Amino acid sequence: MDIIQVERIRKRFGDKDALSDVSFSIPKGEIFGFLGPSGSGKTTLIKILTAQLNPTSGQARVFNEPSEMMHRSAQKMRFGILTDNSGLYERLTIEENLELYRQLYDLPKSSIDKVLHFVNLSGERKKKVNRLSKGMRQRVMLACAVIHEPELLFLDEPTSALDPVNSAHIYKGLRYLNENGTTIFLTTHDMAEAELMCNRVAILYQGQIQAIGSPKELKKQHRENVMCVELINGEAYELPIDEGTADQIADWMKRGVIDRLETKEPSLGDIFIKMTGSELL
Amino acid sequence: MSISLKRAQAIFVKDYKEFSRNYAVSIMLLFPIVFAFILRSAPTPLTGAFALVLNTSFVILPCFTQACLVAEEKEHNTLRSLMMTPASTMDVLLGKSALTFVMSAVVLGITTFIFGYEPASIWAFTAAIIFSIILYTAAGTICGLFSKTLLEATLSIMPVLIIFTVAPSGVLLADDFPIFKVLDYLPSSQLVHLLGIQGTGFTTGELLKPLLIILAWTVALTIWSVVLYQRRLKDE
Repeated sequence: MDIIQVERIRKRFGDKDALSDVSFSIPKGEIFGFLGPSGSGKTTLIKILTAQLNPTSGQARVFNEPSEMMHRSAQKMRFGILTDNSGLYERLTIEENLELYRQLYDLPKSSIDKVLHFVNLSGERKKKVNRLSKGMRQRVMLACAVIHEPELLFLDEPTSALDPVNSAHIYKGLRYLNENGTTIFLTTHDMAEAELMCNRVAILYQGQIQAIGSPKELKKQHRENVMCVELINGEAYELPIDEGTADQIADWMKRGVIDRLETKEPSLGDIFIKMTGSELL
Repeated sequence: MSISLKRAQAIFVKDYKEFSRNYAVSIMLLFPIVFAFILRSAPTPLTGAFALVLNTSFVILPCFTQACLVAEEKEHNTLRSLMMTPASTMDVLLGKSALTFVMSAVVLGITTFIFGYEPASIWAFTAAIIFSIILYTAAGTICGLFSKTLLEATLSIMPVLIIFTVAPSGVLLADDFPIFKVLDYLPSSQLVHLLGIQGTGFTTGELLKPLLIILAWTVALTIWSVVLYQRRLKDE
């Protein structure tokens, strides 16, 4: 069952298309990554899917209802969102911020302990938000977005302000949520994050989807038909994958001179550059 | 339109905690009481001084406080986060307005006590105060929603301060400049008329007219604030 269906969405601001003819669907339980540089339309799409913005044309359905219905309380109980438009109450402590969300979602008190553990902030609960680092704030905002363990989670660059240790902690938590049924819609320009977390990714550039598929499939599609061989004497070769190369490699193997042997596989970043001719920033 | 009292209460408690730690805004609670102490022994007639203090207090208490609460939420992006939770438009507006209402009612009660003002009809006086607090809270919500920062909110209440507080004095110029007659229909002018009714020699109509005009303003501004809030849910 698809939890998100987007059909030919177009969003125009003035004389510029922020999104143009965007179509895709996300089945329940998937972690779907939207990759693209700043200004490519990622946040616009999240806003359309969460009823903060109306599309110029096309239609989007979330939980099998038109996305315009997402402003209803019953629908908002079902999703969580973290974007750069999210904020925290500066004069309140971490715990007081989460207490507000706990009450708004009508959750038991234990949900605060659980979510604090999830974002690795159990020991900091009494700290006021205005004394937190950028990374800690990001984790508190994430905690607010997932405190109700939503069916669908929208994350816009969730680990952009985090160090690798805390990012790893967040990835672990997101996988836990996903294993327990949360579908995750993630936008990022961190290729490693996308490869690590996402079942499928879409590459968005200038408002249009350039490619869509699992990271493995995309890499396979864009793989160069070349074997990289490094011999123990330091010589390195890039050889086309054909019968001649197979014979050559077999010979080297018989002689035991191969140090390293691999296919030349592009990263998602390489694929992005290849498809758009642009760096992913 | 759904209302959850539990969610509205959660927003009320959160706002109370934030407000009590925001000394720059919470100090405003003292101003009406200080004005009352200064003006109660002034040589002007009691009702004139009391009306001036009330009309000024409505702007610096419910209007300014509410504008600051809303604008600060916008400045820190918390209003958008709140809009993305199950809290409905009415939950958010009710929760935020309830704190402003309670604080204003308590402070204006103390102010009335200090002045020793005795209304001709306690019911009409109480109704006028309640309608006015709601009216100026709605005006504060509108000012806050039009502002992007706390500083902008402070400036945005200036037109409210000037128009509504000065209106009763402006009416005095209506003989020379008939256009100023329109100021007589502002809620602040009607409050002055209501406070001026003394003793027992008054008709129900004399009490009802100012009350109904204030009520009409209250309904109109409340509807405007709700519609504006709902438009702010969208980014269009």
